[in-house]
Amino acid sequence: MKRLMINVNSWTISASCIIILLFLPNITILKGIFVPSNENWEHLKKFVLQNYIQTSVILVVFTAIFSIVIGLSLAWLIAQYQFPLRNFFKWALILPLAIPPFIGAYTYHGIVNYTGVIQKTLRNEFNITVNPSFFDIMNIPGAIFIYTLFLYPYVYTITRIFLSNQSASLIESAKILGKGPWQIFFQIVIPISRVAIIGGSSLVILEVLNDYGVVKYFGIQTFSTAIFQTWFGFGDIETSIKLAASLMGFVILILVFEKLFRGKKQFSFASTKVKPLPLIRLVGLKALFATSYVLIIFCFAFLIPVAQLVSWFILTFGKIPMDEFFQHIKNSVFVAGVSAAIIIFCALIIGNFSRIVKGRYVKILPKITVLGYSIPGAVIAVAVVTTFITLDRFLTPLYAVMGIDSKLVLSVSIVMLITAYIIRFFAIGYNAIESGYDKIGTDFSHASRILGAGLMRTFVKVDLPMMKGAIISGFILVFIDIMKEIPLTLILRPFNFDTLATKAFQYASDERIMEASQASLFIITISAIAIFVFHYLLEKGPK
Amino acid sequence: MFIAIENVCFSYSNSKENAIDEFSMTIEKGEVISILGRSGSGKSSILRILAGLELPTKGTFTIGDNVLFSSNIFVHPEKRGIGLVFQDYALFPHMTVTENIRFGLFRLSKKEKEKRIKEVLELVELTGFEKRYPYQLSGGQQQRVALARALAPKPNLLLLDEPFSNLDAELQYKIRKDLRDILKKANITSIFVTHDENDAHALADRIVKIDKGKIVKVGRPCDMLGMPIKQEVMQ
Repeated sequence: MKRLMINVNSWTISASCIIILLFLPNITILKGIFVPSNENWEHLKKFVLQNYIQTSVILVVFTAIFSIVIGLSLAWLIAQYQFPLRNFFKWALILPLAIPPFIGAYTYHGIVNYTGVIQKTLRNEFNITVNPSFFDIMNIPGAIFIYTLFLYPYVYTITRIFLSNQSASLIESAKILGKGPWQIFFQIVIPISRVAIIGGSSLVILEVLNDYGVVKYFGIQTFSTAIFQTWFGFGDIETSIKLAASLMGFVILILVFEKLFRGKKQFSFASTKVKPLPLIRLVGLKALFATSYVLIIFCFAFLIPVAQLVSWFILTFGKIPMDEFFQHIKNSVFVAGVSAAIIIFCALIIGNFSRIVKGRYVKILPKITVLGYSIPGAVIAVAVVTTFITLDRFLTPLYAVMGIDSKLVLSVSIVMLITAYIIRFFAIGYNAIESGYDKIGTDFSHASRILGAGLMRTFVKVDLPMMKGAIISGFILVFIDIMKEIPLTLILRPFNFDTLATKAFQYASDERIMEASQASLFIITISAIAIFVFHYLLEKGPK
Repeated sequence: MFIAIENVCFSYSNSKENAIDEFSMTIEKGEVISILGRSGSGKSSILRILAGLELPTKGTFTIGDNVLFSSNIFVHPEKRGIGLVFQDYALFPHMTVTENIRFGLFRLSKKEKEKRIKEVLELVELTGFEKRYPYQLSGGQQQRVALARALAPKPNLLLLDEPFSNLDAELQYKIRKDLRDILKKANITSIFVTHDENDAHALADRIVKIDKGKIVKVGRPCDMLGMPIKQEVMQ
């Protein structure tokens, strides 16, 4: 009781309120499981649910396998060998992350379809007409191809950093014991990188389950598309909540599997001592093979789609009214900026609460808020809309007093979209802030308090100036993710409100692929700069 | 008797055992006390409890007439009027020497602040270093700034956590003497914890030897000379 009394302060109260608000919409979804099922749900369950599960599992499993193969092989080549252009590729191989998969999907479709550059060149230059179905990528294998190309950097980045920093002594021991490069790769590298590989591939899986843009564009039925379809097609929010709850169950299962697979191995490499892996110089054919392999991946995952987008941009330049384009930039920057600022502000409060307040159970609370990132956008969208409609119903008498005619005010405003962004991307901002707090430790704030400064003065004068780096990097990461976001924005945006991402998606869906290039290139450029700067700083930062 | 610590017990949330067990002692005004013990003996926990950074499970702590904690009272660190010099000094890296010292003087007028900063800088012999940042100072200078910062608000009690552990052997010898002079000149009641018996013998008026959170022996340095401290207490 005494501990509770001591811990109750403005920080505890604000942090508790934020945590509850962030978690509230998830309760709506969990509650939905227990609502009696209706006809639509029974129909879905009987005829199509199995299909959704099957498709989602195929997409997830194959994308994960291919991402691991590509990500791990690239990470190993870059971490262990010196070959021509290696230093360039070390950074360049992260860049595909700047391309949202839906942009990659419509770009590739544009490249390989009947009027695309490949078939057109074959027809016009070589007089070869191919069976169009040969180049059809709008199917499940095509989606796996797209996801793998644009999501493998998650596996590559995490594994490369791990291998470069942590594996030197083990690999050197294996060499001394007479093992060759292949034996080292299969017997040492793969087992010791297990944690990094699982960490990276879990992110890939969560991204695939969250995706709406690729599957919608390719016409593939997954949980995400089904949630939207039941909601907008049938107008049946109860069934979409049930679908969302099933998907959430699926995600929780994956997170449990991830924890199980990681096991206790994660503690084996807790050493913070960094010993860089000495590079082996490749010459002759081996060097040629290494450079070619990496170059091919880089071309497919970044160079070819960007070159295609640039060529479309040149062709359509001036066709899109600039004032409209600037309005979309303004909208994107506004929602991303406001949401990122709120996320960082809340993360600072919760992070500080977690440091100030003592007690084992209190430390678990902030972790709840991080769950949002694992929950797919479609689920969050359903949860937020349901919560906001309930809120509007509750506030109707107040609206009447204020002279507002409409019964729906909050649920048609931009507040709803920003709330959804905050729930979905809170984890990204929070992780950056939490690691910032970890880095500065508690001695400085304790020193400040002992010198007579209260919690607020300590926060403003001591913590904030020292957290500048973490605040900036957290803001950049959230900002970029929101700029690229599709499902939440599509569903929750107010009428006539477009961002660069929704406009690009809309143009692509309307088969105006070329017009989509301008907005897409803008998103890619901004994201690429931010990703590059972030990873560069991360690597250069104090070890 | 100026300070009274009675039956203080403390345990960490992840442990059932008491890290501090029935710790009691009294201190006279201006006295310099050394808590001597090996690492893990609970000596730093005592400092943190007295500073208000940890919540004891039992006990009372009074300075003069003020009860700082008891079964139903807990005064937050910022209200205790206690100074603490951290083991790694915890000087705010984004503030200059002057700004670090000024930080604890926010209740004084501007004129009083400047006067007090000048006084403590003279006391620790760092006049001329006002505009330097912590990273521009040597280890010994940083320690002096930390001491000046802790002394500036005129605390009732000064706590020092392993004040010499970050200094090399040559500097330790010089600073031990300087520190005792400064503490005596400022006439401030102080408790410092150390694992080094030489520090304790050189600085303290009284030594409190602890092991596993319990007081093993209390006495003047000369009384402790016969004790095989090195074998028992040192790691």
